[in-house]
Amino acid sequence: MKIAKALIFGGSALAISLLAGCKAGGDNQGLEYAPQMYHSVAYEPLTQIQDETTKGNLISTREDGKGEYFNSNINNPNGMNMREPVANTVPRNKQGYLPYRLKAFELEQAAVIKNPVESSEEVLKRGEVLFLQYCSACHGKTGQGDGKVGEVIGGVANLTGGAYVNLPEGHIFHVITKGKGRMGAHGSQIPEESRWKIVHYVKQVIQGQATAAAPAPAADSTAVAQVTPAN
Amino acid sequence: MGKNEVASRLSAPVFMFEKLGSDSTFAGVKENLKNYLISKNMLSKRSLVGIRLSFQTLAVLLFMLIGVSAYAADPAVASSDEAIAAGKTVFNANCKQCHKLDQKSVGPALRGATDRQSADKVKSFIKNSTAVIASGDAYAVALFKEYNLQMPSHEFLSDDDLNNLLSYIEHGDKVDPAAAAAVTAGGEAGAATGGGIPSEYLTVILGVLVLVLVLILVVLGLIISVLTKYINKQDLPEDDKEFVSQKTDYGKIFKSDGFIIVVTALVIALVAKTALDGLYSVGVQQGYAPAQPIAFSHALHAGDKEIACQYCHTGVEIGRSANIPSPNICMNCHTHIQNVGGKEGVSPEIAKIYAAVENNQPIEWVRVHNLPDLAYFNHSQHVAVGGIECQTCHGPIQEMEVVKQHSALTMGWCIDCHRQTEIATEGNAYYDKLVQLHSDSKDALKVKDIGGLECAKCHY
Repeated sequence: MKIAKALIFGGSALAISLLAGCKAGGDNQGLEYAPQMYHSVAYEPLTQIQDETTKGNLISTREDGKGEYFNSNINNPNGMNMREPVANTVPRNKQGYLPYRLKAFELEQAAVIKNPVESSEEVLKRGEVLFLQYCSACHGKTGQGDGKVGEVIGGVANLTGGAYVNLPEGHIFHVITKGKGRMGAHGSQIPEESRWKIVHYVKQVIQGQATAAAPAPAADSTAVAQVTPAN
Repeated sequence: MGKNEVASRLSAPVFMFEKLGSDSTFAGVKENLKNYLISKNMLSKRSLVGIRLSFQTLAVLLFMLIGVSAYAADPAVASSDEAIAAGKTVFNANCKQCHKLDQKSVGPALRGATDRQSADKVKSFIKNSTAVIASGDAYAVALFKEYNLQMPSHEFLSDDDLNNLLSYIEHGDKVDPAAAAAVTAGGEAGAATGGGIPSEYLTVILGVLVLVLVLILVVLGLIISVLTKYINKQDLPEDDKEFVSQKTDYGKIFKSDGFIIVVTALVIALVAKTALDGLYSVGVQQGYAPAQPIAFSHALHAGDKEIACQYCHTGVEIGRSANIPSPNICMNCHTHIQNVGGKEGVSPEIAKIYAAVENNQPIEWVRVHNLPDLAYFNHSQHVAVGGIECQTCHGPIQEMEVVKQHSALTMGWCIDCHRQTEIATEGNAYYDKLVQLHSDSKDALKVKDIGGLECAKCHY
């Protein structure tokens, strides 16, 4: 009788502790049932597991005999699953933009580029959202250069200051794309069209200037191609 | 140095000196001063001022005044209040991002600029520094080399603006160094105590409450014993006496059937609950918070510094995946910020970014949220179209030092949300027809009404 009792108590205590171990937390991913369902065999762009030996369960069905979790493209540098675009190729896009090829110092050439995105209520609204996402950390919510990150970095432009108010749209676009002074290049983070929308927002709302008559020739994509320098 | 400065700033003591005239003898100075003060009704004849007024005292006072104004300025620079105020406006709008008056910032400290250079040269530098540097001016070239940055041109500033700016730079907002030190020290002390107060209070309150409860217990015990003693002394009938002096038999209670049944039931319920919870948590990674190769703190970046999530997770509104930022995005800020909280040197964690950039090697972050391959999920549909906050699914990311999986990411969790969430149809023409079709229903248009529960929406 006593042995039976002890067995029951011991058994349940063991079960509790084992089952509690299934729970994820900290570095423990928790117990997985059927890991083949969770771990992709196909290349996953944001997953990279180079461990070839760990077998997830008893039956591994991989043809190459590698571990359950292995997910890495051995043909890429560093075994990455992502690849950079092939050299000398141009990505196609809906707007017909060609790659922006001006160098960081070619500010004067950049200044003459016109904004290919036509301004509208909607564009300005979107521009505000984008400005708050990508610019306000340094330039502040109203563009006065008083963002919280800007305080630490220092030397952040006050977009409403005299040195910046009269800058042409192309100049602003170029600085967002390539960076200037202490500002880094944001071309890789923000799609081209979004950058032009930010330019509209900065010019019209933050600097309070009505858009210069009309950036009319941007209506069709061929015009854009002419306006955007592509050498 | 100094004379103009003192004269213009503090007129009262100087006035005294003027009154003293050129009387050179020691006694003469004293006598003169006394007469002056008496004539102004500031002193009684019997006692002089609290401090002994001697030539030394005055000399010390003079040195203190000189000490306050460590820099001198070109006398041509006006020091009127209006000019300083106007200059401050110009400074705040155009200069303060890079310059401070008395401290080196991104650019040099400005006070004393007209002492180091003539006012005209300073003005032309402000207007177009590039031209001045190109002209080969030795001082300007040296400055450019030291700071390795070019100042934007300020041609738009009028000559009046520049004059006002110079007066602000030279005469505005002077700070007594000792007072400034005291202020910053005080501020730090204030900040240090500011954070801890609430939790401390809580502990104190809890402690006091517990103490009070214990005291009440003790008092009650005392009352019981006193009362028992009192009753025992009385002459009582047999029944009552037995009642008063009865003892509880704990052993009997433990062995009673009722007690055993209750305890067994409780234990079985606990075991069953833990077992079920454990079984349900199989395959659910809620709470997973792996250590990352770089101790990146979302609490610091997204919380304190208020950087928008999208600044780094650039794909979240345009694609399926939110994206993990590549080091070039880190470097937008960390080119300049090399350590945490303005400390000297390079932080070992930030050094890992530099190493990754230098060696062109990816940083191998550990994936936290791993949705099984059998389910399709798209960030842009939820964030850009649905307008759902990141925190709805990812929890209070802006408070997390280490990212933890906040939600269960189970199918039940998805479906629950699809059943309850109303669709943000406003301003989205895609939904117009659906809204029209749904207009007969009393309930709002929810995700479940437009196929949010269809298997093939996510599993295909």
